[in-house]
Amino acid sequence: MINKEKQVYEMLDKVYDPELDQPLTELGFIDHINIQNNEVEVIFRLPTYWCSPNFAYIMAEDIQKYVSELPWVNQVKVNLVDHCASDEINQGASEGKRFSESFSGLSDQDRDLDELRRTFQIKAYYARQEKLIKHLIKTGISKSEIISMPVQGLLALPLSAEGQSLKERYLEKKESLNHSSAYAITTPEEEVISIEGFDDYLLGARRTRLSMEFNGHYCRGLLEARYDLPSTNETVALKR
Amino acid sequence: MYKTESGEEIFVIDSHIALWDGSKENQLNIHGDQFISCFYDYHKNLSPKEYLWPKEKFLKYDSETLVNDVIVKGYADMAIFQPVFLNEFYKNGFGDFDANEAIAKQYPNRFICNGTLDPRHGNRGLEELEKNKEKYNWQGVKLYTADWVGNSKGYKLSDPAAQRYLEKCQQLGIKNIHIHKGPTVTPLNRDAFDVADIDDAASSFPELNFIVEHVGLPRLEDFCWIATQEKNVYGGLAVAISFLQTRPRYFAEIISELLYWMDEDRILFGSDYAIWEPKWIVEKFVNFELPEDIQQETGVTFDLNVKKKILGENAARLYNIDIEAQKEKLKDCELSTRNVAAY
Repeated sequence: MINKEKQVYEMLDKVYDPELDQPLTELGFIDHINIQNNEVEVIFRLPTYWCSPNFAYIMAEDIQKYVSELPWVNQVKVNLVDHCASDEINQGASEGKRFSESFSGLSDQDRDLDELRRTFQIKAYYARQEKLIKHLIKTGISKSEIISMPVQGLLALPLSAEGQSLKERYLEKKESLNHSSAYAITTPEEEVISIEGFDDYLLGARRTRLSMEFNGHYCRGLLEARYDLPSTNETVALKR
Repeated sequence: MYKTESGEEIFVIDSHIALWDGSKENQLNIHGDQFISCFYDYHKNLSPKEYLWPKEKFLKYDSETLVNDVIVKGYADMAIFQPVFLNEFYKNGFGDFDANEAIAKQYPNRFICNGTLDPRHGNRGLEELEKNKEKYNWQGVKLYTADWVGNSKGYKLSDPAAQRYLEKCQQLGIKNIHIHKGPTVTPLNRDAFDVADIDDAASSFPELNFIVEHVGLPRLEDFCWIATQEKNVYGGLAVAISFLQTRPRYFAEIISELLYWMDEDRILFGSDYAIWEPKWIVEKFVNFELPEDIQQETGVTFDLNVKKKILGENAARLYNIDIEAQKEKLKDCELSTRNVAAY
């Protein structure tokens, strides 16, 4: 039983909030799980009653998808609690319906979630890439080396533990965008970054990274206030 | 008025305040309860301990409390009401034009009463807007694009109906359009991240000013993107500025991004009272300095001169307030001499 629970949580580690690029398990969004033989119920919660149903739906779909991958599981019930669209989301995700089918009562559902997923994949790509680039610059690698580095070169590059983890996180996102070019550091559309455009590109990526990190704090704070969780506010102001 | 240690005076306009009724009696359904509870979570999460209100008080507070918190204690020389309808959640709505108006009458030259509108109210709403302009002389409106009307859970500024309303605003001289583009309350799948509608509206109505409240949070980067391109787009700091207390480093990052991508003339202070009291926000803001590494990264200036613009001068420009003349008018106002210590 304990083993089963651990397996479910390991699968839930793979479910990310698309907007924050952090796993639900780390964000505190998973309330608890119930396991009955081969049936799993995942109870999850969000920072507000109003969090966008489309994002909630993506998370519910991914919970459904990943937990179902466990060989012993034959039914997954997703249960979003305390949300204005709990019913539509829980029923839709558990039955494998598309977002547009579940929210057909609303007037403006002319697009499904694939595009939204893609948009936030790209944001996560920028955010992870910016962190890696900054790390590479700090270790003394020049801008021109960075923009011309082959994927193999990046893979072979010896880095600190922190650098290694930044590299892995970046490459994971790059793979999910199905990149096939030989260059390691490109735009999300696989275009080579020019040396003249490098600084602007990095500032743009920084803006995206900041936005996501900020949102993480923002959502976490609201979740803490909503459910009276221990605070993770900055303990030493202004220190990194 | 805020006086710095060196004796310099800063004229403060709190560009985002409200007098609301979120009481149980006024709640129409569970949404009304959840809405005000969510506001309260914001309050609880980001306020310093000594400024925490009990929930009961937060649901509904009286006008004297507001006047004392904002003007007497809160350093604001003036403040702007930004009411919203929320008629699907509250029996008499969340904001109340007449209640705001009454406070403004009682304390002349202190308050600007903005109104609101909803493009889904059709022709009736357009007529209403005209009447309200005549009655209240609105200089601005607060738009809450995530409000619910019947089955609709939100609208976009690029909707044809919204365009008609903006046209009407332009015609009537309602120049300042404050839009809530921030913490999302909308189930529309594209609205959640798309700020293109502001871009669109700002180009279509160059005579109007679009003040994006909460600087688009949680999608700051999208906001910066349009604000760089459209010169009649402004950023309202409400919500963002409240991070000064618990996440000062993030506030530093936000303000430096804004200063870098737009400029110091298009950022407006707002406390979002009663979610937060302006007193601690103004104090912290005036004394805040950017950490060196962030300053170096963006190269922006965040000195007293910039702070003065953000705290009052920029809003004064949008609302045609001559600060020196206004100071003169307020010299003998009862609130200028009311004993702060008594509250």
